[in-house]
Amino acid sequence: MDTMLPMGSVDVGMNGHFATVLIFVLIGFFFAAVALIVAKLLRPHDPNPTKLTTYECGEETRGSSWIRFNVRFYLVALFFIVFDVEVIFLYPWAVVFKHLLPLPELGVLVFWEMVIFLVILSLGLAYIWVKGDLDWVKKLVDRAEDEPPRRNPLLKSVTNEEGSQ
Amino acid sequence: MELLNLNIPSWSDLAYWRPEAILCGTFLAALLGDLIGRGRRPAISFVISVFGLITAGAYSVAAVLHGGAAHTIMGDLIIVDGMAAFFRLLFILAGLATVLFSWTAEEIMGRKRENKAEFFYLTVLMTAAMMVMAEARDLLMLFLSMEAVGLVSYVMAGYMRTSLRSTEASLKYVIFGAVSSGIMLYGLSLLYGMTGAMTFDGIRAGLLAGEVNGLSLLITVILILAGMSYKIAAVPFHFWCPDVYEGAPTPVAAIFSVGPKAAGFALMIRFFYTTLAAGADPSASAPLIELINWPLLMAVIAAVTMTYGNLVALRQLNVKRMLAYSSISHVGYLLMGFVLLTDAGLAAILFYLAVYTLMNLGAFFVVVALNNHIKSEELDDYAGIGFRAPWLGTMMVIFLASLTGVPPFAGFAGKFYVFTAVMDRQWFWLAILAALNSVVGLYYYFRVVKAMFLTRPAEGADTTPLKIHWLQYTVLAVLAVPTLVLGFWFGPLKVLADQAIGLLSTGM
Repeated sequence: MDTMLPMGSVDVGMNGHFATVLIFVLIGFFFAAVALIVAKLLRPHDPNPTKLTTYECGEETRGSSWIRFNVRFYLVALFFIVFDVEVIFLYPWAVVFKHLLPLPELGVLVFWEMVIFLVILSLGLAYIWVKGDLDWVKKLVDRAEDEPPRRNPLLKSVTNEEGSQ
Repeated sequence: MELLNLNIPSWSDLAYWRPEAILCGTFLAALLGDLIGRGRRPAISFVISVFGLITAGAYSVAAVLHGGAAHTIMGDLIIVDGMAAFFRLLFILAGLATVLFSWTAEEIMGRKRENKAEFFYLTVLMTAAMMVMAEARDLLMLFLSMEAVGLVSYVMAGYMRTSLRSTEASLKYVIFGAVSSGIMLYGLSLLYGMTGAMTFDGIRAGLLAGEVNGLSLLITVILILAGMSYKIAAVPFHFWCPDVYEGAPTPVAAIFSVGPKAAGFALMIRFFYTTLAAGADPSASAPLIELINWPLLMAVIAAVTMTYGNLVALRQLNVKRMLAYSSISHVGYLLMGFVLLTDAGLAAILFYLAVYTLMNLGAFFVVVALNNHIKSEELDDYAGIGFRAPWLGTMMVIFLASLTGVPPFAGFAGKFYVFTAVMDRQWFWLAILAALNSVVGLYYYFRVVKAMFLTRPAEGADTTPLKIHWLQYTVLAVLAVPTLVLGFWFGPLKVLADQAIGLLSTGM
């Protein structure tokens, strides 16, 4: 059995470990509650309209924050991930590679594994390039073309009534 | 050097992993082909995908013929054994049939589609990921492979990206997937906390060695079951299923209804059999099953799933939704094999899965072929269609009769084995309920047959014969013939399934 415990720790079982977590959670709740309750007891309660306005550097909000963001921002974010993941994996690989290189079979294996990884990632880059996701200006797509009329048995009676009138 | 203590993968591991490696290479090559063709030459990707799948299939067959013991590769993360070999063949069959059939499917290859080639290589990637699901023997690989299949599925569900229903299906799938993955991860972390092990064998040893609290093991198992039930669409994690099948293009729904489900079952079989079941050594771990009352838990899930799927399917007017609910009810039948975690039950699941793959793919493909012409999946629009495409109608009857489980079709043999597995251990109420459910299934399956052959089309409706592409007829015949033959000559497949499960237990 491959038990993995931090070095030097005593095996207190899962319940022991989670007891620590529980104590942390309880103390956390306790602190927050004490701070709020004490403040509530001590502070004067005297609201007025000026006092309730947005504080100092905040802008007055206009409209709802539930607006649609352009999907292009997400594409850029995904594009960023291609390189981000690459760096995340390259860095630890580079650290151990120096030690692994002298070993006869392993060094070559580790080298080619990273080459394969980079090839796959660059294919991802080529993909978004060819598919035009790097162009900021895009043509609009007609959404309506794929919509067959949705037939809901519950709505059927309603539309029939309307038709007869 | 300390690093060398780890079991580092080596090149020789690839010798046991050729089909998967070939499929990954096929995916990359087909993607590159698509890019070289600037997205306007789907034929490049299609040919590469078909070729890759056939090559991988040939290697899988060779591996089966070679037989041989189980091999643990990739630093103990993956095991290639008899069960893995069985599922490899199943997934490659499903993937290849889907790729070939989709070449002539209007929903994938229609003139307006701008990303046709993507479907082919995504199917290839999904096939590879599903194969890894059937081979995982470590919690990390379990989660990784499930997410790999999930991510590909989300993209494929939203394949018609200009269709609101398709994108809606994709979004629903993503959200449900994220939630159930989260629940399952929580269960996995609890399991790791209890046993301190990541490999399935290690978990089993940990559970047997330590004093396991029955309640915490039950909670853990239920949390993990949540993630897996989502993959196989068992009640109460089935909500995404009908909406995704309806919204996604029909070929995608076809592979969803067999591929990820079979992969989910493969994962469940390996995971629960290795960690909980008695296996080769019955005295050792039967207490684990009794500790959490596993048989009752699974029996209830199976009973609810099959009854719910069947009853809701009765009310469906859309053939795709009907097939979605029918697939939920089939999951219920399949789960019956899990109730006792015996070799007989699990072998029955494998047998049923193979049969189910054939007949369900076939039924969905007929829907695809009809959709090419009538642009609809509504039952009303199927009126009299059997006379416009007699062969297609006949094949639909074969697939639906097999799904019902009427002898002499393959579905009957599948159900027979599953029912026997539970009746052997005196679970009669479950078997009776399942038999009653099959009768309910008869009604809604044959309503489609009735619409196709016995209902007159509306006045002035088009009655010209439909032209069905030869490739579609070929694929359908390849699926229909075994559906017929396996109904009375099921020995070889049964032997294969028994062997797969037998190797699973000795492989540890």
